[in-house]
Amino acid sequence: MKVMVCLKQVPHQDARLDVNADGTWIQDGNIKFEINSYDTYALEEALKIKDAGEADVVVVSIGPDRVTQALRTALGMGADRAIHVKDDDADLSDTLGCAKILAAIAKEENPDIVFTGFMSDDGNFSAVAPMLAELLDLPSATGVLSVEVGDSLKCERELEGGALEVVELPKPCLAAIQTGANQVRYASLKGIMQAKKKPVDVKTMADLGVSDAGAGAVKAKIEKVYVPPKGDSAEILSGSTDEIVGQLVTKIKELGVL
Amino acid sequence: MASVLVVTEVNNGAIRESSLELVSFARKVAESSGREVKSLVIGSGVDGIAGEFAGKGGGETLVVDSADAANYNVDVYKKAILAGVEAAGADLVLISNTPQGWDVAPRIAAALDCAFVSDCTNVEASGSSTTFTRRVFNGKLDAQLSVEGTAVASVQPGATEPFAGSADGSTTALDADVSGARAKFVEIKQSESTGIDLTKADVVVSGGRGVGDPDKFAEVIQPLADALGGAMGASRPVVDAGWLPHAHQVGSSGQVVTPKLYVAAGISGAIQHLVGMKGSNFIVAINKDADAPIFEIADVGVVADLFEIVPALTEAANAAKG
Repeated sequence: MKVMVCLKQVPHQDARLDVNADGTWIQDGNIKFEINSYDTYALEEALKIKDAGEADVVVVSIGPDRVTQALRTALGMGADRAIHVKDDDADLSDTLGCAKILAAIAKEENPDIVFTGFMSDDGNFSAVAPMLAELLDLPSATGVLSVEVGDSLKCERELEGGALEVVELPKPCLAAIQTGANQVRYASLKGIMQAKKKPVDVKTMADLGVSDAGAGAVKAKIEKVYVPPKGDSAEILSGSTDEIVGQLVTKIKELGVL
Repeated sequence: MASVLVVTEVNNGAIRESSLELVSFARKVAESSGREVKSLVIGSGVDGIAGEFAGKGGGETLVVDSADAANYNVDVYKKAILAGVEAAGADLVLISNTPQGWDVAPRIAAALDCAFVSDCTNVEASGSSTTFTRRVFNGKLDAQLSVEGTAVASVQPGATEPFAGSADGSTTALDADVSGARAKFVEIKQSESTGIDLTKADVVVSGGRGVGDPDKFAEVIQPLADALGGAMGASRPVVDAGWLPHAHQVGSSGQVVTPKLYVAAGISGAIQHLVGMKGSNFIVAINKDADAPIFEIADVGVVADLFEIVPALTEAANAAKG
């Protein structure tokens, strides 16, 4: 069985985010990056299948040189091979452009299961996974908290208020994994050493025969990003710890809680 | 005339309130861009509720009534929505960003090879150009996107008031072929009762990723909850990391709480958490990061290390009780 996992490298959750000069994204020159949190759970689901028997796990990512680090981490965790779409123009794709690039890879790889994260921590679109499924004409499920692999893939989708929807997808299929689906493993030292020998294929959009992605194919253009207007925000207390606590106690007493 | 299509959502035999929020946006956009508002109702035995919706601002309401659509199914709904888009002549499609909406909406955009924008908090249109506002980076920044031409957008529930007026409307049965689904609905599992009912607590003290360590919940967060006679909550990353059981989670995928007092310690304020606590009567936020979105929604904020403030507040609260 072959499992393809789509990974995105995103700014570290604790990175300081400053808007770039033209106000259309963040300054990404001097910050730390990590594998998108949702995607680590997606990778773990694939590695669980590998642990349970025969599975070839291929990880795929689109992005600049720094993405090599994310792919090496994934290989260190246990993935078998990696495909790196390294192409300046591909990086400028919108969600549908990314889905088209990933679809071209999936058509070459023919995976039985595609796992992705449910959302990215940077764009927060939750779009690429269902788009990829549509382009590949695969059944799909999103916000998946557990999967059971048999002839089909039985998925539990997270609904609101803790309810779950159980849905069965015949393979080949795609599942977009929610955070908390599993306990994500760390790359062991042995794994990291082994990862150095594992293959990373580097490809461009031209290699993949994709022409309708990249900057020229962007359909939803980001005009500006900005710090949300503060409006009716909190009264910020100041002073020493004792003074702040004193003010808080006064407010809490007014509520009738104390 | 081009139209804006409201894709409604039927839950437990009724149309969700978020669908009327879509009507509010659709009417605004229709007026500014010369479009007509149309709606789509998908389900089984939904003629009656579709008729009501048509009169509540839904306009010409297309109905896909099929036994196959009794429960949500991605394949069935995709076909029904694509048929609705075609029949309505829609070049702007609005869907609520709910577990159904986020499952199917991007597929519609891919099938139409058009623009997609998700979880919008505002939609504005002028002619063929549409502008969407949404959060990025888990609420740390906002983004404005523009689309020329056809777009599918999912809209954040609660982003605007539901349309409360009435208007002329009609229903049209749509004979869409929705057969051949591959995904198979099995069942809905309701959440199991966990014994921790945060919704009944007068005070909820929640910790987030900033608490940093599972032991610190017992050492720092729980004592303040105890001192204030309240219960301990947590944000999603805490539960995802296995630091606390899901029963403590406050947010769209956990419990929605409205206590007299909500204390958020080390919580940045991702939208999924805010949805679960923004109805609280009084919100105190403690966070080292002055730019954390939680301060936008809090009544009182403290920009400081929670490990300095929370233990001191616990001590003061215990002292105040005598």
